[in-house]
Order: sequence, then structure tokens, then C-alpha cells
Amino acid sequence: MSDGSYRYQKAKFLTLPAVITVALVTQVPIIFTLGLSFVKWIVVRPDLGVSFDGLGNYLRIFTDPEFYAVIAHTIELTAGSLVCCTVLGMFFALLLNRNFLGVNLVRTLIVSPFFVMDAVAGIIWKTLLLHPSFGFNGYIAALFHVKPIDFFGSFSLLTVLVLTVWQWTPFFILILLAGLQGISEETLDSAKVDGAGWLRTLFSIKIPAIYNHIEVAIMLGSIFILKVFGLIFVTTSGGPGVSSTNLPYYVYKVGFYEWDVGRATAIAIVTAVLTLIAIMALFRFFQRRFKEWEV
Amino acid sequence: MKTRRVRHILLVIVIYLLCLIYFFPILYMILTSFKPETEVLPPRLFFTPTLANYRLVLNPDIIGYLRNSAEVSIITMAVCIVVGIPASYAIVFGRLKKPDNLFFWFLSTTLLPPVSVIIPVFLLARYSHFLDTKFFLILMYTGANVPIVIWMVRSFLKDVPREILEAAHIDGCSKLRTFFAIIVPLTRIGITSTALLVFIFVWNEFFFAINLTYVHAATLPVYMASYMTQEGLFWAKLSAIATVTVLPPLVLGWFAHKSLVKGLTLGAVKG
Repeated sequence: MSDGSYRYQKAKFLTLPAVITVALVTQVPIIFTLGLSFVKWIVVRPDLGVSFDGLGNYLRIFTDPEFYAVIAHTIELTAGSLVCCTVLGMFFALLLNRNFLGVNLVRTLIVSPFFVMDAVAGIIWKTLLLHPSFGFNGYIAALFHVKPIDFFGSFSLLTVLVLTVWQWTPFFILILLAGLQGISEETLDSAKVDGAGWLRTLFSIKIPAIYNHIEVAIMLGSIFILKVFGLIFVTTSGGPGVSSTNLPYYVYKVGFYEWDVGRATAIAIVTAVLTLIAIMALFRFFQRRFKEWEV
Repeated sequence: MKTRRVRHILLVIVIYLLCLIYFFPILYMILTSFKPETEVLPPRLFFTPTLANYRLVLNPDIIGYLRNSAEVSIITMAVCIVVGIPASYAIVFGRLKKPDNLFFWFLSTTLLPPVSVIIPVFLLARYSHFLDTKFFLILMYTGANVPIVIWMVRSFLKDVPREILEAAHIDGCSKLRTFFAIIVPLTRIGITSTALLVFIFVWNEFFFAINLTYVHAATLPVYMASYMTQEGLFWAKLSAIATVTVLPPLVLGWFAHKSLVKGLTLGAVKG
């Protein structure tokens, strides 16, 4: 019976609107980005005009030490956030994977930061919580008679990292918790009968059992965390200097402050290439497993 | 037995405390929004709650941004569903030459950072006078979110048993009718949470909003970003606006988060 005759024959037409919209918005512009990256065009200097510049923009960015600093910050921010999110997400998922009074409320509250827009998350942390004189930070410092820590000045990248982790850990909790809930009771019981301790159960049974979930969380997390922009925009504006600037923010700064279209698009192209390389590398790393569960 | 019970209760108390700490920034924002401006500092748990901040901030100014956010989010959500679901249907149930390649092409577009398209998009908008229009913002959001709809809806559609569709086919049920009478009812929870997720993503989106809108089409994230510089240190008011801004996605997120896990993880991770 399964000759597939129930399948829809003119399926191609159904995909057309989606293909056209997505290509129009994501694929066509990137060709123009590539084109513009070979051009010298500074919008606020119309006297210089627009001229072909070959690889000039790429030469300029690759000889600029600032660019390497920004790449380093991007890697630190992304890798640091991913590690913290995974560990913290695992910790909370293990804690919440049990029955107790109000467990649903607790789970709901703890995933909330994920749904708060980054503009607001950044602002409430910057003002209400961490402001050195009028925030909770200043209040605590006054209690202990110490000078409040200037989080966004002295520890800008670290603070941005903390906010990113605060926003993204709930996402990891959701996925890891779903994994833990799928482990059968019998497996855990037999481990108990065999006299496996808590730590042993965690590393020999629980983590291997939810390996797929950990991978998925890290893959998706990296895609989103590489794009972090709003948090930086409202808290540090990438500063002081470029100390908390990542690649997306750098493109924005060069493009919309310096209005250097050529250099900004060149950085955008490098960002896209590096993002794809990073994600492909992660994907390769996980690929063996990926094939197993996606057939 | 008794010590185990005590240990359980202690553990639960620790969980409550940790959860409270994690949720504290949001809680503190909500509490501050009900405080009179003079009582914001030092932080106190007990105060006379007031709605004055909300009365002050809910002026025509913010209503405009709220309306933009709502319009852009709802229209994008609707268009994404209308464009995305037929495509996932075709990928799962249609006769396509290489459905997996098409699917992975859609997936791969979500990997690209938005910065890689923003400059030509901005220039196009500026020279075609589409800058600061809701139409243009909706177009960008639709292109960015259709892959997410396809991605999620595909994993829900794959759960629909083929036997039912074959039976419907033999009974002479048309494709359109099979879709609305069988597939939609079976996947409605998944479709609903996909739609909610798109709404949340668009409502919260910052990057395109800040670069492509100024006044007429600006959404709430743009307003929030400019608020601090404009209004200074009135933090009770700030908290009231922030609370109004995050409430819709927060409430919707509470409803959608369970199917979000299943949909986004290609259906491999059973929630």
C-alpha cells in the first residue's frame, strides 16, 4: 500500500513562496555585501566618491590590531557563555528533575529570562542592579562600606558574558531537562541496586543518556550567542574602547558610526565566514551522533 | 526514612532560593514599577504600591510603539505561518526530488548572522524610501523567521502517522481536506507554539529594528534603547515601561516553552 500515492504531486509550488522570500531576504543581500566589500565608499565623505578598491578593505582590516582584539572578544564571549550555560543548565536541570510542591511554578520562573528582550535585560541589569550609585550594586557596597564595583567599566566583557549566560541558560535548562525526563526509571533503579553513587550515576548514566540533548543545546546556543548584539548595544556600546565589542557590534560600529561601507561589509563577510566555519566545526564534531538521530 | 524526608525538604528550600535569585532581576523590575519614584532607593520589600508610574508612562508616545510592535509581530507571525507551513508540508508529505537538501538549505540560512546582510539592506531601504516603514521590517522578519517555522513544523508533521494519510487518500479525501481535517487537528499544539515563538522572536528583535526604523515604524526595543538617554534616572517609570514591554512575550513564552524544545531540536529530543 505504501507506494506513496498519498504524497502530494505538485509539492514544488508549495515551497516556492518560502524559497523566494527567504532567498530575497537572506541570500540576495549577501551577494551585495560581498560586492560592496571590494568598494571604497564612505557615506559621510561624498567628496571621495565611490571607487573600486580590490582587496583594499580586507587588507585594511587584517592589518588592524583592533580587528584581532574583536575576534578574540567574540571567541571569549561565545565559548565562555557556552561553557557556563552548559554547566549551569545541567545543574538546574538536575535540580528541577524531581517532584516537589510548586515544581511547575519554579520551572516557569526560571525559564523567564529567555523570553525577556535583550534591550530590557541589558537595561535592568545596567540600571536597577549594577549601577554603582543608584543600583542594587551601590546599595550592597554601602552596606559593607566598600567602593561599588564598576561592572561595565572595569569588567565590561565579563559583565556582558554574565548577562548572556543569564539570558541563555534557561534555554539549556529546557532542553537538558527534557532529556533527563526521558531516562527510564528502571535504568536509574538498576543503577541504584548496583550500588552506583550519585556522581557515578551522573557521569555513567545520566550524561551519556542525554548526550544528544547536550549537543543540540550547544549547537543551537552557539548559533544564537554568536549573534549577541542588543545586550552590548544597551549596556556598554562595545566599550570602553573595544573591550566588549564582538564581531556583530563591530560591523554595526564601522557601518553606522564611521559610515565606512566598504570596510563594514568586508568585516561582515569575514564574520559570516568565521561563523560558518565555527558552526561547521561544531557540527563535524557532533556529526557522528547527529546522523544517528536524524534519519 | 525520616532523614531522607528532611533532606528532601532542605533540598526543595535550596531550589526555591536559587530560583528566586535567578528570577530576581525580573522580580525586582516588577516591584520597582509599583514604587513611588522617591521610594526606589534604598531597596525595600515593603512599600505602598502605586499605579502612578503606569499612568505616567502609558501615554500616546509609548502606545504608538506598542501598536507598531503588535502590528509587526502579528502580521509577521501570520505571514510566516501561511508561507512556512505549505513548505514544510511539501518537504514532509510532498513528492520532491531532494526534500532533505531543501530543508537543510532553509536551516543553513538561520546560521548566517544578520550583520552579513544589514548594510545592503539598509542602503536599499534608504534609497528606495522604505526606511522606517513597517512593510520593510515585516519583510525582513518574514525572511528571517520562515526557516524557523519550517524547521519546527517539520518535526511536528513527521509525527503524523502515514497510515492515516494513505487511508484518507484511498477514501478519496482531497489533499486540501486531508490537510485541514486530519493534519491540522493533529499538529495544532505544535503549530500554535511555533506561531507564538515567532511572535516572541519578532517582538524582542533588536538588530533590524534599531537599524531600519527611527520614528514611524519603531518597535518597543528601539524605544527601550533610547529611553535611558532621553529620560535619565527615573527608574520606577523605567521599570513600568520595561514591565509592559516584556509582559506579552513572557506570558506567551510560559505557554509555548514545552513544545519549543521539541520543535527546535528537530523532533529528536522528545519533550
